[in-house]
Amino acid sequence: MWGKVYTGFGYWDASAWILFFFIAAFFTLWLRSQGRSDYKKGTEQDEIYWSGNEVPEDGEDITVPASSAYWGFRKALEPFYRGLLGIHTGIATDIVGYYVMTVAFLAVFILLV
Amino acid sequence: MNWNDHLPALILIIPLFGAFIAPICSLGGKTARNFLLVVISFITLIVAFMLWRHVLANGISYYVMGGDKFNLSLPSGMALPVRIILEVDAFSAFMALCGAIVSFAGALFSVNYMNRFSGMGRFVSLYCLLTTGMLGMMVTGDIFNFFIFIEISSIASFGLIAFWRDKPTAIEASFKYALISQVGSMLILIAAGTLYGKYNMLNMAAIGSVLKMGTMEKLALVFLVGSLAMKCGSFPMHMWLPDAYAEAPTGVTCLLVAVSQASLYGLMRVCYSIYGAAMGSSFIPWMIIVFGLASMFFGVSMAVVQHDIKRLMGYHSVSQVGYMLLGLGVGLLVLDDARAMADYGFTAIKGGVFHIFNYTMYKALLFLTAGAIYYATGKRDLNEMGGLARRMPYTTFMFVIAAAAISGLPPFNGFVSKLLIYESSFAVHPFLAVVALVTSVLTLASFVKVFQTAFLGPEKNSLAKIQEVPAAMLIGMAVLTAAILGASLFPSWTLSTLVEPAARALVDQSGYIGAILGGGM
Amino acid sequence: MIGNAPFFAVGVLFLMGLLGIFMTKNLIKIAIAVTILGSSVNIFLVALGYRTGGTIPVHFLAGEGTTMVMPTPQAMTLTAIVIALATTALLLSLIMLVWRHYGTIDVDEIRRLRG
Repeated sequence: MWGKVYTGFGYWDASAWILFFFIAAFFTLWLRSQGRSDYKKGTEQDEIYWSGNEVPEDGEDITVPASSAYWGFRKALEPFYRGLLGIHTGIATDIVGYYVMTVAFLAVFILLV
Repeated sequence: MNWNDHLPALILIIPLFGAFIAPICSLGGKTARNFLLVVISFITLIVAFMLWRHVLANGISYYVMGGDKFNLSLPSGMALPVRIILEVDAFSAFMALCGAIVSFAGALFSVNYMNRFSGMGRFVSLYCLLTTGMLGMMVTGDIFNFFIFIEISSIASFGLIAFWRDKPTAIEASFKYALISQVGSMLILIAAGTLYGKYNMLNMAAIGSVLKMGTMEKLALVFLVGSLAMKCGSFPMHMWLPDAYAEAPTGVTCLLVAVSQASLYGLMRVCYSIYGAAMGSSFIPWMIIVFGLASMFFGVSMAVVQHDIKRLMGYHSVSQVGYMLLGLGVGLLVLDDARAMADYGFTAIKGGVFHIFNYTMYKALLFLTAGAIYYATGKRDLNEMGGLARRMPYTTFMFVIAAAAISGLPPFNGFVSKLLIYESSFAVHPFLAVVALVTSVLTLASFVKVFQTAFLGPEKNSLAKIQEVPAAMLIGMAVLTAAILGASLFPSWTLSTLVEPAARALVDQSGYIGAILGGGM
Repeated sequence: MIGNAPFFAVGVLFLMGLLGIFMTKNLIKIAIAVTILGSSVNIFLVALGYRTGGTIPVHFLAGEGTTMVMPTPQAMTLTAIVIALATTALLLSLIMLVWRHYGTIDVDEIRRLRG
């Protein structure tokens, strides 16, 4: 049951991975336990640091919204995304159109090849 | 009477019975109706499990509908099988098991999720009908019957996707799906009619035994491959899929995932068991590989920039279907080359089949967690969510497991099936493995975004009063989590017991044909 | 050649249905084009079953004719007609609901789900 999965080119052993994970976790937790625990909870020492500004009460104001999460990736690939989002128009007949064009392309080429 | 002989018919009749009894049961009140839904799904799951055990022990199991005996496929001296024959080999039984597990999880989830809506008698009836259609697609051995079950599941889906009639986007999604589904089904019917007109038979095994490639068979193959790839959601024809998956109620989306897998089953049955060795040129395998690559890459590129959680998961569905098409296409490519098959072809097929199981489990779980978020907060837009991990710990835990599985992180099951696909597709051409790896990285990126924005982060005042979802929904999600963890911790057992018989049955075209034509009296 | 006339009719109707889906903007006309597509496939199925000089495929009190047309495609066609009926009914009800929500049945305007 706990065997190895042999692909043609190597193997994957889940139990070995889990063993290494526990060893690494042990070291991580040991390092974490070397920290100081003599701080006073609930006072200024426990606050988050927000570049020296006032931390707003509502969590709403300090979250990064999901739409700006990968803005750099999107801006770098802007020509690609403009084309890709241009295909996805959302018009019903375009959806059927791409399908019919694909089947027509396959039908023509299978008779030629 | 031996129960095991009648299992293929029982697996279709039980959900169908549930579908017809549901309006009567809902006269008994909400509890009776919910009880019916859960009990019917559970009995279907048990029958699917027993059918799988029976097929593993006894080989291909077939059932002649309406015959004198259940296995009289060639009655009194006839050369062709004349009735509708259900043929269940290990691959069909495997897919029926996946579909039944997902249907049970979705049914448990819908018990609480839909308690704010009326007309639930019709929902239960349509849900059971969709289950029947999906299971029928997987067990039938007759190509016209396959078309009928595709239509049954499509029509039930149209009604279920548009179930919230007050939402304009749900009606729009259902209309687009209905339009493209109807055009696709007409092409499947033309293909079935062409094969009938040429060979005068509708049985898949019988057609497979006499098929010779000619112009009409090539056109039939193209229509079947194109339409079934459309119903799975592969690249140029995938645009209905994120809309339909996002707008349907979540239990239904969970089941629609399995219905798309049934179409993938149909595609593989056509390519491996009907055409199989007669396929001739490698045009269709390469086209399936190209569809797979395009779906993988373009699906995940669209998913990274979405901000609606269910639409994002719908685009990930498109991308994961690409993995399965890639694995199974590589296997199809080297089907007649025995040495390449032993080298990397059979590994590719095993990877593709294992990925079907993994994908069905983790994708259904992801949709259920998105549905749980919607139930608790009322929002589907990631821009408005945040800090949910404090209040919904169980949902967060299950989401992390599903997200790690879909991204292909070890030690989860997604990693194992993707490893098999990477290594075997690398042997065909390195570019295939490169695209698969880039897609995996982008999938991880997208789910890190979802996890961070929905679950981590500071707590918002607008979401201060949410609670964890009710128990029935958590149990539904736990069923799928248990399946994922089982496949992750025991990968070699899962591969040898669940996947390898299915992959072997898929490759064995002569066994599939011989069970019907050599059997009977 | 004249014996292939039904199949030419099938091809013409199929193309008419397919072109009808792309050339018009009104959703109801698109639904009508889909129905024409379904009818063309039904004609194809019935035409497949014809055998030269055949009579109806009824065995009881048959009469003198010995060649019969094939009954299987007739059964297939009946099933396909019923399925197309159910799908058309659903398509038309969805169009009605679309009109109620969007106020328009122009296919270019119904695009709230895009991108």
